[in-house]
Amino acid sequence: MGKRNTVQHQPNPHESTHSLKGTFIAVMLLGVFILVSWFGFYALFLSR
Amino acid sequence: MHLHKYEKIWLVFGMASLVLFLLIIGFAAFWKGTHPQSHIETIDPQNVEAHDAFKPENLGIREVADGKYIVNIVASAFNYDFGKDTEGNAIKTIRVPKGSTVLYQITTKDVVHGFQVAGTNVNMMVEPGHISRYEAVMKNVGEFTIVCNEYCGIGHHQMYGTVEVYE
Repeated sequence: MGKRNTVQHQPNPHESTHSLKGTFIAVMLLGVFILVSWFGFYALFLSR
Repeated sequence: MHLHKYEKIWLVFGMASLVLFLLIIGFAAFWKGTHPQSHIETIDPQNVEAHDAFKPENLGIREVADGKYIVNIVASAFNYDFGKDTEGNAIKTIRVPKGSTVLYQITTKDVVHGFQVAGTNVNMMVEPGHISRYEAVMKNVGEFTIVCNEYCGIGHHQMYGTVEVYE
């Protein structure tokens, strides 16, 4: 029993070391690209 | 449920973008009346002359009010019919003053064609059995080439015309 409890309480090494910073930057860059291109096309539509 | 701080940020960003774009679509459709260029009104493609706008004598440009024009066109493989001038030659150039409002009305006798005034917002699909309309304010001076942008057959590239906007 005791041994099993210690195993359960060990933190998952993958969760503690996994950083989402790169994913965050990639997602935000994609979002900014979509928004900038949309407003760019809209400006083109208005100017023509 | 545990969500990482970054995940919360990009989920909010994504959902906010979705809501923004849906609101823009709703605004365009319900307030501004934007719709597909060929909608509701149908025509017999075998007999387009039966429609008032597409009688041979009504083709081409016509001024309906001060600064307002209607251009009627019949597309067919491989030509845009803008009517004939006084000497009987086929008209290929439409001339309008800058800032005029032009309603383009076009239909096709045979297959699907395109109608694009390159460099402007006028860009429509022309389907047999339908009348395509697009009203545009010609706010930039210049010569704009009309092209067919739906592949319609061997002479597709020979379908052309010009819209000339002058000061």
